[in-house]
Amino acid sequence: MDLTLEHRREGDRTVLEVGGEIDVYTAPKLRERLVELVAEGHYKIIVDMTKVEFLDSTGLGVLVGGLKRVRSHDGQLALVCNQERIYKIFRITGLTKVFPIYDSVDEALQDIE
Amino acid sequence: MNSAEVELQLPADTQYVGLARLVVTVAARNAGMAEERVEDLKIAVSEATTNAINAHRRYHQDTPVVLQFGPSGDGSFEVTVVDAGPGFDPAPPAADRDWTLEGGLGVTLIRGLADEVNFIRGEGMKVHMNFKVGLEAENNSQPDR
Repeated sequence: MDLTLEHRREGDRTVLEVGGEIDVYTAPKLRERLVELVAEGHYKIIVDMTKVEFLDSTGLGVLVGGLKRVRSHDGQLALVCNQERIYKIFRITGLTKVFPIYDSVDEALQDIE
Repeated sequence: MNSAEVELQLPADTQYVGLARLVVTVAARNAGMAEERVEDLKIAVSEATTNAINAHRRYHQDTPVVLQFGPSGDGSFEVTVVDAGPGFDPAPPAADRDWTLEGGLGVTLIRGLADEVNFIRGEGMKVHMNFKVGLEAENNSQPDR
């Protein structure tokens, strides 16, 4: 199982759709994409994890890295997660208090100006 | 039920973490584990195997990491991940962890998802995890605070 990444602009926000499995083998690909996006000036990023089938702490570390990167440009990084098994990982690690997490991309877009 | 332990040796390469997850979760399903618990097991196995492979990549690239797993007699499913790395002393559960740290969450997840875990530091590292197979298993997935 591989990782798929696709991004699109929604006004000045960027939706990064992630699919598949995010683990130690695939996470570098996600890190690279986030680094590229920020380098290209995307500072309001919504990571859509609706199609993520697996996520572990390596993936969490990459998302934390992305959040730090956008915040250094006064930006935002929000997550879309509607699967309990994925959300649970954020809850156990206390990261629900760090990331804004939405049920849908539409909700995230409404909230992030 | 007799203890049926399987041993899996994996090359110290990150591409094999997915294979470890696959093999152990199939064994757990065959042992009758409920699907929700299989998801917990899958993450914990991924964390322990990732730590082991990362340790070998640094110090023992040509030595495989070892997973032993199977149902134990008491209605639980055990997984032990063994590596020959320098080992580590797992940080105690922290009430207020600095969120900007990008590592160290694996141990938190293993603790939150397994019913029991022992981190044994000897010559290398051994992470022994225990998961109740039945649905009545306590779901202790609350944050550390």
